[in-house]
Amino acid sequence: MSDEPELGGEATTASRRANSEQDHIQAEKFLSEHELIVCVGPGGVGKTSVAATLALEAARRGRRALVLTIDPARRLATALGLDGLDDSVRPVPTDELLRYGARIEGRLDAAMLETRASYDSLIERLNGAGESTRRILENRVYQAFSRTLARSHAYVAMERLYDVVKSGEYDLVVLDTPPTRSALDILDAPGRLARFLDDEAVRWFLKPRFAGGALSRLLPTGGAAATRILGMLASRQLVEELVGFFSVLWHLKEGFQERAEEVQRMLRADSTAFCLVCSPSRTSLWDAAYLRDGLLERGVPLGAVIFNRAYVPRASDPSRKVGWATPRDPAQRLGSIGLEGRRVSEAMLVLLHELAKLRQDTAAWNHVAQAATDRFTERLPKDCLNVRLPELSEDPRDLIDLLQLSRALFDWETRA
Amino acid sequence: MITPLSPARDPFAHRLQLFTGKGGVGKSTLVAALAIEAARRGMRPLVVELGHRASMEAVFGQGPIGYEPHDLGRGVSAMNLGVEGALADYVADNLRLGGFAKLVLDNKALKRFLYAAPGVAEVVTLSKLKSLVEMRKADGKPCWHPIYVDLDATGHALMLLELPRVLDGLVGAGPLRRLLASVSDLLADSDRVVLNLVTLPTELPVQETLELYENLDREHRIQLGRLYVNQVPSEPLTYQALSVVDDLSEAALRAGDVELGDDIALGRAALRRFGRVRDQLKRLAARVRIPLVELPRLTTGEVSLQELERLGRMAAGEAA
Repeated sequence: MSDEPELGGEATTASRRANSEQDHIQAEKFLSEHELIVCVGPGGVGKTSVAATLALEAARRGRRALVLTIDPARRLATALGLDGLDDSVRPVPTDELLRYGARIEGRLDAAMLETRASYDSLIERLNGAGESTRRILENRVYQAFSRTLARSHAYVAMERLYDVVKSGEYDLVVLDTPPTRSALDILDAPGRLARFLDDEAVRWFLKPRFAGGALSRLLPTGGAAATRILGMLASRQLVEELVGFFSVLWHLKEGFQERAEEVQRMLRADSTAFCLVCSPSRTSLWDAAYLRDGLLERGVPLGAVIFNRAYVPRASDPSRKVGWATPRDPAQRLGSIGLEGRRVSEAMLVLLHELAKLRQDTAAWNHVAQAATDRFTERLPKDCLNVRLPELSEDPRDLIDLLQLSRALFDWETRA
Repeated sequence: MITPLSPARDPFAHRLQLFTGKGGVGKSTLVAALAIEAARRGMRPLVVELGHRASMEAVFGQGPIGYEPHDLGRGVSAMNLGVEGALADYVADNLRLGGFAKLVLDNKALKRFLYAAPGVAEVVTLSKLKSLVEMRKADGKPCWHPIYVDLDATGHALMLLELPRVLDGLVGAGPLRRLLASVSDLLADSDRVVLNLVTLPTELPVQETLELYENLDREHRIQLGRLYVNQVPSEPLTYQALSVVDDLSEAALRAGDVELGDDIALGRAALRRFGRVRDQLKRLAARVRIPLVELPRLTTGEVSLQELERLGRMAAGEAA
């Protein structure tokens, strides 16, 4: 797609529509054909806003939609009704949107994922609420595991997701995943814990437990050197707690494994789509390329790529990008709007000059962003939707801002 | 713009320079730029990325970058400090097992266990950083200086710092305890180590940075270096031009000149953004007691090393 400066032509022709009619139709299809949309992407690209926008649009079209988010900006959290501390599902107050011409025919709910609580409730679900569950929750290895290991967060996110998707309460669930470079964990994590439990390492550790007396049996078991290392590395107490932790996990193994398989099936179902969200910034595109290739390698169909803040829009028409301006003589320019003679001050000429510079800088930015996103989309599967969202003059902080994004994405005013 | 720096806080004095900040705030770019500048000043910088995909490959168009430091040209080297390599080094260096070391690392069961055990990844990572700091060439000069470490996310930095506390009570008197003590000492060594924060001048990153800063300031002994704020826009309209915006806007509206109206809207939006950025910078300045370094927004798209050089000079505290 070329948007080279068109110096000879009408300046306005240089400001193109960011997305084609076909893109909007495809975007609608994408939204209506799926029951679960998993938004992945690098941090700092507005993934939460995009996820919330998709859910909002589905709700506007009459579906029961839920957005599961991780870490929304404070104002957005408030707008989504998420300013409580727990991770329960809450209805999003959408009445205000009526004033902006959007009637929410369906329902929009939101919940914020809180890892620690989710882990605890997972253990409770698998293990019941008794004494042994209390012991796990108090185990320091468990605490360190659930609190500090970022890589285990993805697993819990998947758990929580599975519950709501299978509850049948929603027609569409949109998941906003944690902004890590290892977002692929959400695909690998469900199997990992189960595989880990199946591993000889754990069995090797647990054998002595069943025979009574963890350490006594550890010593004569295979790999004497390995055991020695462990003794040197850590204290007896650490080993005891680890064994305790592993034996509990072992006990829950079947529950984990079964669930992991179900989660994997859910993530690869036809009704599930992955949506890659990124911005046209350099680092964002690097990280996004890594995610794109990782998803494709894992055989996960990538349904959509949404470039957020992909272009600076024209104020008079947010679906169009700010394009290059035709250079014009300042005095003539002012004359054309009736500013002549004494009404033209030095300040006016300065302003015109500064505005022209800003315009060219913005057009240049749009041009580079377009080229960068075009390069990115070259490596996408043919049927993958790719659309561009405008950079709003402020970061989206309420539902009305999300409505603007939704208008740009689905163009529902002109296509009503 | 840039607070005068005490020598203790210039980005080249301390050998181990850690960088932390939310994803997407431009840590990789900043670290690359500083490394280029350090090399220009005749130092031997090493960029260390932790286990994740090596961004420096993309920045310098070179690679692959693995566990061994890789010369990227321009006097800059980089490595990707993965847990596996660090674990091997740790076992070989600290446990004095001789031939046993290989045996241990070849034991799949034990290896899996070590990966899964909480804190092991962090301990061996810190241990490797410590040995990089202490590594010397034959002539006695340090192998690497400065060492710029791109910590993946804010959580990662806190995890490293909180490690001794998490493991406290779980670790006996063995080598792990001694190692924990020595890495804790390293992190607290204000002559050699400094932690820098990186952020963007918008609400959420600023909020997170303030929370992180206050947490670090209150709970941890690590020396804080500077706070880098990326993508700070310059003033879009001068005062003189501002005084006639309304007049021009009115004339454009009257004449039905949509294009000029759009340009004015662009100017006003840029002004509002500029104002919000200044507000966020004020918010930071009011609560953060380390030097604040403002850096400009780079163009998007392909990386250019010239741009990084310019950014490096600015990050060092020189005028553009």
